[in-house]
Amino acid sequence: MEPLIEEADLRRTGSPTDAMGSAPAGPEKKVKTQGKSPTAIAFARLRRDKVAMICAGIFGFFVLIAVFAPLLARLEGQDPTTLNQDLLDQYGYPVIGATAEHWFGVEPRLGRDLFARFVYGARPSLIVAGSVTIITTIIGVTIGLIAGFAGGWIDRILSWVIDLVLSLPYLLFAIAVPAALLAIFLGSSENAAAEDVATTRFYSLIIVLSFFGWASLARLIRGEVLSLREREFVAAAKVLGVPTRKVLFKELLPNLVAPIVISVSMALPSYIVVEAGLTYLGVGLTEPTPSWGVTIAAAQSYYRNFPLFLWIPVFAITILVLALSLLGDSIRDAFDPRTRR
Amino acid sequence: MLLYILRRVVSAISVVVVTLVASFALFFLAPTDPAGVICGPRCTPERLADIEASLDLDKPAVQQIGLYMKGLVVGRDYTAGGVTTHCPAPCMGYSYTLGQPVTKLLAQAIPVTISIVIGGAVVYLTIGIMAGTIAAQHRGTTLDRITVGSTLIIASFPYFVFALLVALYATFLPESQYTPFLEDPIAWASGLLTAWLCVGVTNAASYTRYSRASMIESLGQDFVRTARSKGITRRRVVYRHGLRAALTPVATIFGIDLAFQLTGAIFTESIFGLPGIGLLTLRAFGQYDLPVLMGGVLVGSAVLVTMNLVVDILYTFLDPRVRLG
Repeated sequence: MEPLIEEADLRRTGSPTDAMGSAPAGPEKKVKTQGKSPTAIAFARLRRDKVAMICAGIFGFFVLIAVFAPLLARLEGQDPTTLNQDLLDQYGYPVIGATAEHWFGVEPRLGRDLFARFVYGARPSLIVAGSVTIITTIIGVTIGLIAGFAGGWIDRILSWVIDLVLSLPYLLFAIAVPAALLAIFLGSSENAAAEDVATTRFYSLIIVLSFFGWASLARLIRGEVLSLREREFVAAAKVLGVPTRKVLFKELLPNLVAPIVISVSMALPSYIVVEAGLTYLGVGLTEPTPSWGVTIAAAQSYYRNFPLFLWIPVFAITILVLALSLLGDSIRDAFDPRTRR
Repeated sequence: MLLYILRRVVSAISVVVVTLVASFALFFLAPTDPAGVICGPRCTPERLADIEASLDLDKPAVQQIGLYMKGLVVGRDYTAGGVTTHCPAPCMGYSYTLGQPVTKLLAQAIPVTISIVIGGAVVYLTIGIMAGTIAAQHRGTTLDRITVGSTLIIASFPYFVFALLVALYATFLPESQYTPFLEDPIAWASGLLTAWLCVGVTNAASYTRYSRASMIESLGQDFVRTARSKGITRRRVVYRHGLRAALTPVATIFGIDLAFQLTGAIFTESIFGLPGIGLLTLRAFGQYDLPVLMGGVLVGSAVLVTMNLVVDILYTFLDPRVRLG
């Protein structure tokens, strides 16, 4: 419709044919024109995207916080579980703000150090979201590959299971299943230790999210495989007598890198939100696990007097999720030459 | 055509039945000791046995599922201490902690959830389709870039954080509470307004993107050029010809989305304290009230499956390109 804009856009994001990017025209004699896979081109394009790089930097920053949480807490000289009751007045309100000893102050009522809670809180978010993303990707890709490639009754059964999982109300299940799992693993819930409950909740959250997460990727991969398996290179591999497992993982899988990478980059932020949200509702992680969702839930009743208590985890989770979502969007643009902003 | 619909209906029913059996197995066969929960701390073995017998918990698992299904279809009788209570047709048992039939609790909760979702949908469809249409007309301009950029940020903002901040800080909006529509329509609307705006604004972002993309495609079609060349005004072409064609894909997404929102209104309900299905399920979780949990999950799956079915069948009528194989 508007060719001028299209051209400008192509120049900005790099056209699909512009494989080598802006190759230096000067002294370098050998222009690299070969050996660049679509994935390499996409990553090269991503590296030129400033927004994507900033977002990746923010994500890296949070990962570092999570990895070095104990170190950071020791640097401050505090830990996330000590109850500093001496810093609270008789109503349970902290008497100090942000000080040199407690960088973000302490929690009302319990008096735990907020900076230590913040740095340790990055861990469950990233661990839960990361492991769920990995598990769902592996299961989704495998099931999708098998369903699409095998066809016949295997495909029919797997497709039915995919449809089944996709048509379950997963938030309601995410609430209901941990209740049942707790009862199964810990028996009667009343006399279970808080630590055990927290551990069980942690694993049941990962299990539930993984159980409901793989199906959409599986459906996507199945569709891709259905169209790929009729292509010549697959037929050639079959004629040459390449075993099915090799056809799947050596021939088909490399062609599925783009949808898989896109799906991973979209899944990660959404699982961080889901984890924090369910934890906030009281059905995800629970005390004594230091988690941003737990802190937000506890802080909402103190928001007027102790805004810092609420705003630290709110900021952390918002910035992290925004950065990851924008990064995911850039990744999708980079891998798909057709999309334009 | 009839065969296709029939096959879809059968598959939908099979999904609901599997959900029923699976969740029953998970909740009722897990060693949750519901009789102990009802009986309380000062419980005698005789009383425990009596409660177990009254809830049929002493019967084998398969028979329990059978009884539950029978309760759903024809109702069920509970005998406790010599008194028989009849639980009429769609019977899902009694809440362990509230002592009321689950069906009644759900019937009270469903209108709340539907009110939230429908009101929110009106807000986001209005904003989303309008913004999307305008952005599509000005494709490539600064206005379009700002719209697309801001929708990206709004859509990736964590919803529960947004709703919580609105609930805490936007005190100028009317206080959230639920009044049945038939009792007082004005109180109903003003009590839900904040929740509607919250649901509306966050979802409007994705609908702006859908309708923008769809509109760009439809404005690029030949019939739009023909209409323009016939001398029809630009405005009329955009809104009469382009928009009508652009709305079909948006409507499809909306149909599927609506079902998810019905089961996903849980954050809105819990943050604004509106007693819908989500909040009911959440309370049941806290009290290990398994019949209520089970009822919530069942109703949720049934709604989701039905909506998907309706969208699929409607789509075959709306879009002649869909081939039935």
